[in-house]
Formats: sequence, C-alpha cells, structure tokens
Amino acid sequence: MTTFPKVFSIKTTPKEILEKWYRLMTLGRAIDEKAPNYLKQAIGWSYHAPYAGHDGIQLAIGQTFEKEVDHIFMYYRDMLTALSCGMTAEEIILNGISKATDPTSGGRHMSNHYAKPAWNIHNVSSLTGNHTLHAVGVARAIKYYGKKAVAISVQGESSLSEGFVYEAINGASKEKLPVIFAIQDNGFGISVPKKDQTANRKVANNFTGFKNLLIIHCNGKDVFDSMNAMHEAKRHALETGMPVMVQANCIRIHSHSNSDRHELYRSEEERNYAQEYDPLFKFKRMLMRYERFTAEELEAIENEAKVELKEAHKLALKAPDPDPDTYLDFVLPEPYMPQKYIDGTHQEVGENKKLITALNETLKAEFRNNPDTFMWGQDMANKDKGGIFNVSKGLQQEFGPKRVFNAPIAEDFIVGTANGMSRYSEKIRIVIEGAEFADYFWPAMEQYVDSSHDYWRSNGKFTPNVTIRLASGGYIGGGLYHSQNIEGSLASIPGVRIVYPSFADDAAGLLRTAIRSRGLTMFMEPKALYNDPKAAAVIPDDFEVPFGKARIRRDGEDLVMITYGNTTHMCLEAAERLSQEGVSVEVIDLRSLIPLDKETILKSVKRIGKVLMVHEDKVHSGFGAEVTSMIMEEAFEYLDGPVRRVGSSFTPVGFHRSFERMILPNTDKIYNAAKEVLAF
Amino acid sequence: MNKTGIFYSFNSTKTAKAAEKIMSEFGSDFDIVPVNAEELTEVLFLSFTNLIMGVPTWFDGELPNYWDEFVPALEDLDLTGKTIAIFGLGNQIEYPENFGDAVGIMAEIVEKIGAKLVGQTSIDGYNFESSKAVSENKFLGLILDQETQAKLSKERIANWVDDLKAHFFM
Repeated sequence: MTTFPKVFSIKTTPKEILEKWYRLMTLGRAIDEKAPNYLKQAIGWSYHAPYAGHDGIQLAIGQTFEKEVDHIFMYYRDMLTALSCGMTAEEIILNGISKATDPTSGGRHMSNHYAKPAWNIHNVSSLTGNHTLHAVGVARAIKYYGKKAVAISVQGESSLSEGFVYEAINGASKEKLPVIFAIQDNGFGISVPKKDQTANRKVANNFTGFKNLLIIHCNGKDVFDSMNAMHEAKRHALETGMPVMVQANCIRIHSHSNSDRHELYRSEEERNYAQEYDPLFKFKRMLMRYERFTAEELEAIENEAKVELKEAHKLALKAPDPDPDTYLDFVLPEPYMPQKYIDGTHQEVGENKKLITALNETLKAEFRNNPDTFMWGQDMANKDKGGIFNVSKGLQQEFGPKRVFNAPIAEDFIVGTANGMSRYSEKIRIVIEGAEFADYFWPAMEQYVDSSHDYWRSNGKFTPNVTIRLASGGYIGGGLYHSQNIEGSLASIPGVRIVYPSFADDAAGLLRTAIRSRGLTMFMEPKALYNDPKAAAVIPDDFEVPFGKARIRRDGEDLVMITYGNTTHMCLEAAERLSQEGVSVEVIDLRSLIPLDKETILKSVKRIGKVLMVHEDKVHSGFGAEVTSMIMEEAFEYLDGPVRRVGSSFTPVGFHRSFERMILPNTDKIYNAAKEVLAF
Repeated sequence: MNKTGIFYSFNSTKTAKAAEKIMSEFGSDFDIVPVNAEELTEVLFLSFTNLIMGVPTWFDGELPNYWDEFVPALEDLDLTGKTIAIFGLGNQIEYPENFGDAVGIMAEIVEKIGAKLVGQTSIDGYNFESSKAVSENKFLGLILDQETQAKLSKERIANWVDDLKAHFFM
C-alpha cells in the first residue's frame, strides 16, 4: 500500500479524464504492437523496446509533465510517456522510421528515442541513466532562476547500477533540487535479472540514506496508484524544492527489444504471470466493473484509436527521408566570431601578464559581461583558495556562490550537470574545471562523448554551451596523475573544439571566444606555464582569438615546426639555437587543434618543404599523426623529406624527474630531430 | 449457523490448492463455501459472516490484480459484524523484503472498515527481512511458503484451521 493521498480513483475521477487516459493507453499499445511490423517490412524501426507492462506509470509520468514548463528526460521504453506528454502518434512513428521530420533527430538518432525540445522533452542518449545528470543540471537552473517547475528523469531500475546515477542523486540531494527520478522497475536489464544488479529488490531503497530525498513506491501497472504517486511526487518537489524518487513496479510483457528473445531466459510460467497482469486490460476491466464505461463505449474508443493510428501511419510513410548529403551538418555550431581581432593577433604594447592572470582576468571579465555565466569544478572555490592553481581566485567572492561553486569530487557529475543546466536556456554559458588535472578526466568520458554528439543527434536543436577547462601536461614532476596529455585521445571524437594555447594573450583570447560561443569547447591549459615568464604576454583587455587560427610565432625559410602548448616554447628555443647555426626555422603555434588551421600549415609547408611536428603528448597516435597525414595527403609533392614527429614516448609519464626527462620532449630532442630533417 | 466462505482465485494454482487443503482440514462437519475471487461482487461478499480470504503476494509486495480491482468496492463497504481470516502464499527466500505483504495490505483494509480479524499466527520458523503482514510480532494471517517450506504447510494449515474453528463456530 502506498501512503500518499488518493487524489485519483476509479470511482471519483471525472469520466472525461478516464476517457483521455484510456484513449492514450489504447493508442499507445496499438503503436507498441505495430512497431515490430515496420522492421519486418524493412521500413525501419530496427530498435524497438516495447513498453507493455509499464502502462500505468508511463501514463502518469506524461500526465504529470507540463510542457514548456517542466523538463523531462525519457528513456528508450517510454513510448506511452511520450504520447501522454502530448506527442502525437505521427511523431512517434516519424521517430520510429527515422524520417526527416522526426522531431527528435530527423533520423539521426536511434528509433524509440522520443524528444521534442521545444516542449522541454529532451533528446537523450541510449546509454542507460546518462540523462539523470542532465535532469539534475536543468533542475539547478530551475532553482537558480526561481521557476515553478520540476525536472523528471525517467529510467529503468537497472540504470541505478550506474555510478553516474548515484552521482546525480547525490547532487540533487546535496543541492536540494526539484527532480523527480521516476524508476520503472520491470525486473530485468535486458536479460539480467534484478538479483544480479543489486542485493535490494526494492532498488530505490538503496538510496534511503540520502538526505532530502523522498522515496515513493507504487504499482506501475496500476493507473490510479501511479497517478497518485506521481501527483504526490510533483506536489512535493514543487512545494519543497526537494528531489523525489518514485519506484514503480512494472512487468515486462515482451522481450527487451526486437533483437532479444526472452523465452531464452524467462520461464513460461513467469511470462504468463506477467501477461496475466496486463495493465491495460486491468484498467479496462475496472472501467467496466465500476460502471464508468460500457463495453460499447470502450470499443468505440478502441476503434477511434485504430483510425488515428492508421492516419498517422499514412502520414508518416509519406514524410520525406533525411537527406544523406546533410551528414556534415550539426557537428559543431557556428562559433562566436571576433570582430576586432579577426586573425587573433594584436599589436598591443605594455606590461606582460602571466598565463594564470590572463585566465583569471578573462573569467572575471566574461562573468561581468554575461550574468548567465556559471562555473563549477573540483577545488574551485573555498574562501581564499580558487582552484588547485588559483585560476578561479576571487571569482566566488565577486560573483557569489550561486554562480561559482565547488562540485563534488565527481568528474562525470561536473560535465553532466553542465550539459543539463545549459538545456534550460540558450543564454546560459558554463565554464567547468573538468577535473583537477587532465589525467583525472577519464571518469567524465561518458558525459564528454555523449555531449559531443548532442548537436548532431538532435538535428541542431540542442548544443551544450560549455567550456571545459583542464590543467594539462607535465614538467612539474607530477607523475602519472598530474602530467599526462589527453588531447590525442579526445581529438578522434567529433563535436568538440579543442584548443591548447601557449601564451597568455592567446589563452585570454581563446577563453573569451570559447565562453561566448555556442557548443562544447575543451580548453587545455599548459599548467607548467601558468606562472612561467616566458608564456607571459601583453594582453589587450578585449582580446579575442578565433577558433582554427594558428599563429606564426617565428618566421623562417628552412624548416617549419608545427606545435602547440608547452612545446611551443621549446620549439622557439630550438629555433633560436638553429638560427645561430644559420638555419632559419618557422614556428607555427596551432592554438586550435579542432578546428585545425590547415591553410596556415599548408602555406608554410609548401613554401618551406621540411616539417617537424612537435607536441608533448605521445607520438603514438598523438594529434601530430593527424597533422602529418594531412600534410602527406595534401602537400606531398612539396616535401623535401619525411615529416618527423617529436613527442612523448609510448609510456605513461613517470614520477621521478629522470623518468620525466626521458619520456617528455625537450629542446634538445627537438633540436636533434630538426637537424635530421634538415639533413634531407 | 453463520455462513462461512473461502474466497480465492479459481484460476490460481498454488493458492487454490492451499484453499482446498484448508477446506479439507475443516472437514465435512463444517460448511465452507468456495467463492471465486475473480467474480466477486459486493453483494456476494456481504452475504457471508465468516470470510477466509486467499490473498497471495504478487511481485514485490502487491495484491493480485483480482483483489486489487475489488479494493475500491471493498473500501466502501461496512464489514462490522464480519469475522475475517486471511491466508496467502509468499516466498521468503526470493522476496525477503516483502514476504506475504499482500496479507498485511488486505488485513489493513478490512480492519479499517469494521471487520474483526482473526487467525493471526506466529512468525517463528520463518526467515525474512520485512513484511507488511507482521503486526505486534505476529502475522496477521497464515503465510504459506510453498517454494521454500512446503513441508511445513500441512501442519501450519492444521493449526490455523483449529484456531479458526474456535473463532468461527464456537
């Protein structure tokens, strides 16, 4: 028995509401049962996860959602939830058969992933529970802007096994956010039974220790129990601003999806048991038993649903297919374009500022410029400490703890809630310290990867406007967790800009451009240069550097060194030594890896003919491999010798200084490699 | 003599067998009328003075659908003067967190509307974590575990029926 008030009951709920519910449930089930036929007829819908058995709770979640006010994140089994939220049968089918007019993604995302961003029905990943962090992030915005609304994260019970779901619930509990975690428990994660997921059959009870979290159990197969549970959950979240978890016990009448055969792992008895408690039939029986509807009235509704489905089917089939030539659209949104410093250079004179000062002052300037700018991360703001390297020093004092604050030591939470919060409004800009050091960023990779394709996957309807700052690289004797470079690994993931400045002015200009731009930018900071005088530079107050514009830091004629980050300075030193031997070396500081300034690179390569690619990251599959290949493909005939690469060895960076010297590139290694290239 | 009925799903397997054993235990001297809970009406329910309800626990602690669908009707009845005993099947190994919950759920409903609940039993000999069927260290009815303690059911039924005879017929 649930203990919440019975607002809805078979005897007292107005007939027109019961009719609406039965119509939705009948229509939903009709589509659910028809969906596999599209695959059999080779029309599409190759992924379908039937919802039959979840009818009560899905109806209730949708009925609880207020479009354009609340925010909802559904999972791949939420077909009836989508209908109950107000989406049409046609929209459901358009998604199922991947049409250009599919409101979720125009055929780019998988079928059975329903979204309508204009109503705050968000486009979600297929990674189970991934959107839990997004719901928490958008709830942070709901709270900050004082909106009377809730965020609803809908998911299966198996998703609670994911560590990032724990992070999300912990965050909602800590920050006291109006999130409803609606857990549909059908006892299986594909074929994995609940007993293989957790010791507690009532999985929501694993979270009873969380402060500020109300946990409600309900029968997800029963319309009234589900409606009452969701009604109470929303009332509580709205009135208290606190999170609620609703665990709805459901049954899975069919297999996990159309590629699964549940008879391989479920007994006939168990399957019959589930079938016997078909929520739709139960609701129908109750409508008749309590004389709210006659059999004839219900049959009429069923017939109308069939007609509606038939019409929706016809319209969806006629809808256009996506244009495959648009496949390059929506990888990244158009960035902010600097108006004054078009190529990202300046002639300012004056006092040099350190790289760390450049970052700190630019952050402050952008926070003053845009009141909807936020920043959080690990060790970000505690009294006089502002970040592990003090990059964010003074920001919380000036802009307050609601805009600048510490995050839990949970990298995925930091990135995931940034994605979520930016969904609230296009005007919001978020800066995060993805981790204390780049080496610790890996736990956030599931959110990073997912965020990278939000723009493409949503057909351009959503992009997380987030700048991820990471203190990167070695030369500080930091060893395995304080000295790695990770940009080579990240560069193979489309949908994120990656910048890596070497000088204070470029750091300021790129950070300003990143914060003002739409989309996701990875901002790598060479931490060894934070306070190094050689990276200091004169910085115009309003300096901006466009993405994809390299900077020639030294002109030359005999050899071109292409580099970025820490090694820019080593290349400049090596170039200086070589100049004393009469060799003229050009040094190109890439500044942006993605997008890459191919024009500047190729122009120098074609003119000079000898190339040395230098970076701190590993040579093996490092970003230099991409640059080198590009040169081979587009300027081979201009080369006077093979392009050489200098970088780290294919090992971790060791802790002892002698290991570091052996593993990381330095001026001598660059000088020697340059001599070899020059010998051709 | 007051009319006595035993209410259970005729389509069930284990609950139906348990009901038959209970009727058999009463013996031919006692007239116990079997009633299909899936075809129950308020009038039929109220026509009995002594009621034995077979309420197995489904899933993670729920009433079976046939009882759940009757609850809205049941809640509006006045059961003053009725004596009710409840039995149900549960599985204490696989569902230790909600062992026999349905018995407790139904007991709460019928007591709330005036029925006198009889047939409480000891929790000794069972091993579970929690149950809505437990009140003051006793089960609110008879819980049978045919999955893990089938051998104990015969004696449990016999003892329970002895107790019910005293309540129903003396």
